[in-house]
Amino acid sequence: MRPIGFSTGALALSDYRQGLSQLRGKAIDSIELSALRFNELRPLLETLPTLNLSAYTNIGLHAPSRFDAVQEIEIAELLRAHVKPNWPIVLHPDAIHDPSVWLEFGSQLAIENMDRRKPIGRTAEELSSIFELLPDATLCFDIGHARQCDTSMTEAYRVLHRFAHKLRWVHLSEVNTLSHHESLSYAAIWAFSEVAHLIPESVPIILEARITADQMDAEIEKAKRALPLRALSTLIA
Amino acid sequence: MPEDEIVESRQSSHAVDQLAAWVGGNWQNLQRARSFTRLQLSGLRTNLRDYDNEDASIVVFGSLARDEATPGSDLDWTLLVDGKANPEHLRLVQAIRRIVPSDKGPGVEGIFGNLAFSHQILHCIGGEDDSNANTTLRILLLLESRPIGNKEAWESIQSNILRRYIDEDQGLWSKSNTRGVPLFLLNDIARYWRIMVVDFAYKQRERENAGYALRNIKLGLSRKLIYASGILSCFSCELDFPGKQLFKEGNAQRTVEHLRETFRKTPLEIVASTLIRYDTLREPSKRLFDSYDRFVGLLASEEPTDNGKCPRKRLNELKPDELAADSLFIEAQAIRRDFGAALGDIFLRMESPIQQLMIERGVF
Repeated sequence: MRPIGFSTGALALSDYRQGLSQLRGKAIDSIELSALRFNELRPLLETLPTLNLSAYTNIGLHAPSRFDAVQEIEIAELLRAHVKPNWPIVLHPDAIHDPSVWLEFGSQLAIENMDRRKPIGRTAEELSSIFELLPDATLCFDIGHARQCDTSMTEAYRVLHRFAHKLRWVHLSEVNTLSHHESLSYAAIWAFSEVAHLIPESVPIILEARITADQMDAEIEKAKRALPLRALSTLIA
Repeated sequence: MPEDEIVESRQSSHAVDQLAAWVGGNWQNLQRARSFTRLQLSGLRTNLRDYDNEDASIVVFGSLARDEATPGSDLDWTLLVDGKANPEHLRLVQAIRRIVPSDKGPGVEGIFGNLAFSHQILHCIGGEDDSNANTTLRILLLLESRPIGNKEAWESIQSNILRRYIDEDQGLWSKSNTRGVPLFLLNDIARYWRIMVVDFAYKQRERENAGYALRNIKLGLSRKLIYASGILSCFSCELDFPGKQLFKEGNAQRTVEHLRETFRKTPLEIVASTLIRYDTLREPSKRLFDSYDRFVGLLASEEPTDNGKCPRKRLNELKPDELAADSLFIEAQAIRRDFGAALGDIFLRMESPIQQLMIERGVF
């Protein structure tokens, strides 16, 4: 059984309390707290001690995806002060201005591979350049982004092979041509299952589809089919 | 290959230079063409930088993709779309046509200088809807293409084409088959070669022999080269990974990755990087590249021949009744024969793993 959970951003955008509320009682053990905008980060971090996260064994935090160089230093300071060392911090590589700001986070920093709109961080080669600057950083593998870049899943295969030792966190959703995160389609499930064997059972899977509360259980079931722990052929049979 | 020669040959990272060092070749025409190609590509990238995006790659074919461009080379390109259809795509094509020199516009059969969508290329492999143009475009995307600027659409389409060839090759996945040569792909590459040869005769008739001599020489050299590189690319799945190692994981991705990396190389690089491994093929390898270097030199020459025209123009304008007595065509035919003989030795006559695979998988 893979650890599985949701991103609060996918469920309720910046309203993480609403996202947490929707998740109450669900059979999940992982969560990603999302602060995709700079001004969302401080309120989230300052209320962390008041949040009941006891149901989750795997907790991660998604850092803002766009900020300027001054904000970058402030973000790093906030994260350092508030985020527990064992929580991965997911960061978009194209948001980084100065990699040295992020060096101290070491393996806590999980660099996410990007969708095809972004100029960097999409392929194994592009991720290599980033990991050269942040050698201890780990990988948040967004399988939907990888499929959007290369629907044959060859790039996904290459990233997972090359950075197997760095894989810490997985984002799972269907990413459409407009780079929106959607519920998994049959085609996406089929495509993702082709590289499922390269994702260790212990790595948490965070669902990013923009869905409503009543669709959550179905999405979890789809996720299990997309990343089976045994060959897809045996699931279909 | 002796160790000192391997060290010497690896001083240059380019496979053709490595082969030259190994066989004692001096292929200056190929080096000049490579430099000229880089200049041309750089100019194109600058001029076309605003005309593509992550869903549409501008892709060049022919000598520009092979690193063999010379001053008179054609400029064959396509706007390759892998995304939502958009009315603006045609405007992009029209804008590109205005930028690319007017005497080097769309090809006569309409494959180049146009718009191409991934759907047709990817889904119509074989069957009624797989036209000659579709097959040609699909195989050229593998064997002889290069994106200018944004490469995402080109890369994605190339990977998906390869995935189809590998995923759907039932024989490849059969345990009783001990050779990892992708026959679905190999057969389609062979089909493309036969299309080219048959279309050569078709064009001769359609165009009333116009350009016959130049097309004849190109068919026997640059066209045959890409066929040979396609065969060797398929064989590389077995030669580089004997015992079907590529297929052990049970899915296509590793093979697709290998072939995608192989097809990133130019045809000359693919051939050179394969031949350099086999001592028995050293002598015909030199003959092969010697003749190809002469061919590229002949096409590159801007020196007027005895009728005042440069070789490329003269060959292009020769009439059928002039061929037998034309010294330039006779010289070009000799180059073509030397190249063909060397290929015959490498693939069919001299003992090597290539010959063995050619007999086992390449003929029937």
